[in-house]
Amino acid sequence: MTAWPQLIIEQLKAHNVRFLSYVPDACGEHILRAAREDAFFDILPLAREEEGVGVVTGQYLAGERGAILMPTSGVGNSINAFASLAIPYQIPMPVFIGWRGALGEFNAAQVPMGQALVPILKSLNIPHFILSRPEEVEVRVSGALKLAFALEQPVAVLVSTELAGWKEK
Amino acid sequence: MEGEVRTMINSLDATRFIASRVTDEPIVASLGNAKYDLFLSGDRPQNFYLWNAMGLAISVGLGVAMARPQQKVIVVDGDGSLLMNLNALATSAVRSPENLIHIVWNNRQHELTGGQPTATAFRTNLAEVARGAGIERCESVETQAEFEEAFLRAFREPGPWFISAQTNGTRSPGRPPKSPTYLKHRFRESMGIVPD
Repeated sequence: MTAWPQLIIEQLKAHNVRFLSYVPDACGEHILRAAREDAFFDILPLAREEEGVGVVTGQYLAGERGAILMPTSGVGNSINAFASLAIPYQIPMPVFIGWRGALGEFNAAQVPMGQALVPILKSLNIPHFILSRPEEVEVRVSGALKLAFALEQPVAVLVSTELAGWKEK
Repeated sequence: MEGEVRTMINSLDATRFIASRVTDEPIVASLGNAKYDLFLSGDRPQNFYLWNAMGLAISVGLGVAMARPQQKVIVVDGDGSLLMNLNALATSAVRSPENLIHIVWNNRQHELTGGQPTATAFRTNLAEVARGAGIERCESVETQAEFEEAFLRAFREPGPWFISAQTNGTRSPGRPPKSPTYLKHRFRESMGIVPD
């Protein structure tokens, strides 16, 4: 069976999402490693996650599709950017989030944000889909991307530790 | 020179100069006076106005510049906004799009909220910050003539460019269209993008 990061990359490509902006985490690196192997992708490192909301907005305004990869903490850094740019301007914006502060977390300082993640997304009406098992990845990523571009809104894909593994310490 | 009067830049006059030189180049405007001035200098579908998202004008401009490498892309920003997202200068330098022109109207204050001083009223020099972030072509200008010269060079020569313009902090009465989706759709249409 194809590895889950490869399945994500294949779906991004199938939906013509060429630009990837990221702040790294262990989970996102799995996806980036697969993306770096394919010249289709144009990858931009960000200093702070909310920049990605601006960058993907600009790419979409100019006719190209982009996605953001960020850690859970980055959602906290991006709330006003989603609320005041991507959502009101109706920008399709797939966001892949490495879900820390949940199952198997060792670091207490990750937990409050990790537990607030889904309530925050819900309070902003950002649809979210959780990737837990390899056999779900293709349909959930494909469906999330389809939804983002149909709805013209941010859509979150949460990559759980069940799928990506957790840090021991 | 004796007798020379160096009048500080009025951001509306400087924006009008930009508007007089562009044809179909996209312009991204920060919230606040930058977008009010841009509207007054001549509304056009290629203008994208941010009604909030303080600090993100340069990030949006970077995204447009990445997707449109064949065209100059202009960002009009304010010192207060840029100071909220200074890290974006470093991100912009990572990519260093030759077509990106980042202009900051530096009035050294949060004019719209009562004139509270920003860091540039104290010790911060934004052109030096941009240079340190890795933007190679940085200018700091203090008069309309200096601004026009710097802008024309930026418009003509490869960048990325960063121009910090000392402005006099005049409040702008311009009020662009408010519907975010209207602004999005007309901008995309002006880029020749046909909806799916």
